Amino acid sequence: MCPGPITDLFRAYRNSNIGDVIELLATDPAAKSDTEAWTKRSGNEIIAVIDEKDYIRIQIRVVKKGK
Amino acid sequence: MQESTVNIIVVGGGSGGTLSANLLAKQLRAQIQTGEVKVHLVLGSRQHIFQPGYLHVAFAGQDPTEIVREERSLVSENVRLIEEPAERIDLKSQVVTLTSGRTLHYDYVIIATGSVPNPKAIPGLGEAALNFHTSPEESRRIWDVIQKFEGGHVVVGIAGVPHKCPPSPNEAAFLLDDYFRKRGIRDKVKMTFLTPYPRPYPAEPMSKVVEPLFKERGIEVVTFFNVESVDATKKEMCSLEGESQSYDLLIMVPPHRGADVVLKSGIGDADGWIPADKNTMRITGYENAYAIGDATGIPVSKTGVTAHLEAITASDNIVSAIRHGRQLYKYNGRINCPFEMGSGKAAFVIGSYDMPVKEIQPSRIRYMMKMAFARFYWRTLSGSLDWLFGLYFGKTQTVEGA
Repeated sequence: MCPGPITDLFRAYRNSNIGDVIELLATDPAAKSDTEAWTKRSGNEIIAVIDEKDYIRIQIRVVKKGK
Repeated sequence: MQESTVNIIVVGGGSGGTLSANLLAKQLRAQIQTGEVKVHLVLGSRQHIFQPGYLHVAFAGQDPTEIVREERSLVSENVRLIEEPAERIDLKSQVVTLTSGRTLHYDYVIIATGSVPNPKAIPGLGEAALNFHTSPEESRRIWDVIQKFEGGHVVVGIAGVPHKCPPSPNEAAFLLDDYFRKRGIRDKVKMTFLTPYPRPYPAEPMSKVVEPLFKERGIEVVTFFNVESVDATKKEMCSLEGESQSYDLLIMVPPHRGADVVLKSGIGDADGWIPADKNTMRITGYENAYAIGDATGIPVSKTGVTAHLEAITASDNIVSAIRHGRQLYKYNGRINCPFEMGSGKAAFVIGSYDMPVKEIQPSRIRYMMKMAFARFYWRTLSGSLDWLFGLYFGKTQTVEGA
């Protein structure tokens, strides 16, 4: 569904601090590639991508926020 | 309120709330006439705004008064209108408290309090950017400003998420491009579409439609830009991702939050979105309380059509509980967002929980459909055109236990 789990990632990112870990649970197959592209661009880190039974669990560490 | 009477309260008089109250009044007409049931509609405002109309007020000069009507004129005579906003909703005690302190006890409640554009969430955004999501007057301000604009860098887009009406930022870019071309100054205007998402439209199939059209029209795209702050003096934005973007004219959709009453009542998440079952529309943990439309945190677009279809499910579930006590209607997540793409053409964003959004090209006929819907909007609030919705949408809910 649009706009999907990436919206939740951005909501969490806005409220996060450096060092926080954001965990994204998504059924949308585009979530993984979108998150990878975003971390590459923003300088943040994917710690793990775990395939669960009905969804994927993506863990992102916030290492960069703002200038 | 009498103890023997079943009291249903709908909180919020937008698309979803108005339709819910009217559908309940229609389906429970006999019980309302005998006094067994009362349907109350608690209004946040006496005026009802056709919010998709903001776009044409802002970018096509439509008269803003054409998109506003008195809520009273749109509601069935069998609905008891309460023209006073709700201050607090207590789901455990089943009580709605109004701003005057008056309390109303309910047996069933539908919360349709919508979403609130929140420019204050981003430092400087409110002062620096125009937006077409807050009011007819703010939308009109855009029209006034662009008429005087003689050239420069226009940045239009999404400042933060979530926001209502996902296609509207893209539509704004298309209509602005149309407008500058009509005025013959397009060559003096640089246009940038700015978005937090990875692509011009979040759902990839529709982004494939938008991308070549933006390219053809010379609209540049900046992705992964969650606005962190705006400096109105320097005319510059910074992103959470660490980038910056300058502008001469800034038109941005602000991030939205839930309604004040939801935040004050502590019945939503930190941003005021109410947790609800995405199918039954029941608020998590409550059998007699429903949330619909923008007010919920369910994973579906915040649009009028969604609110409309969820209103049908929530009201059917209440009617069913009163009459049979066993049937449960389930919304299938159908979305159908009109998507104007300039030059008098439009597409629709169509999908459901089980059907991913598909690629639909813009056409003149779809534009005519969008405009026809705008004309019919006021009548759709009575529920009298739901047969037409049914023909167009097909099934939007299933029933369990019939």
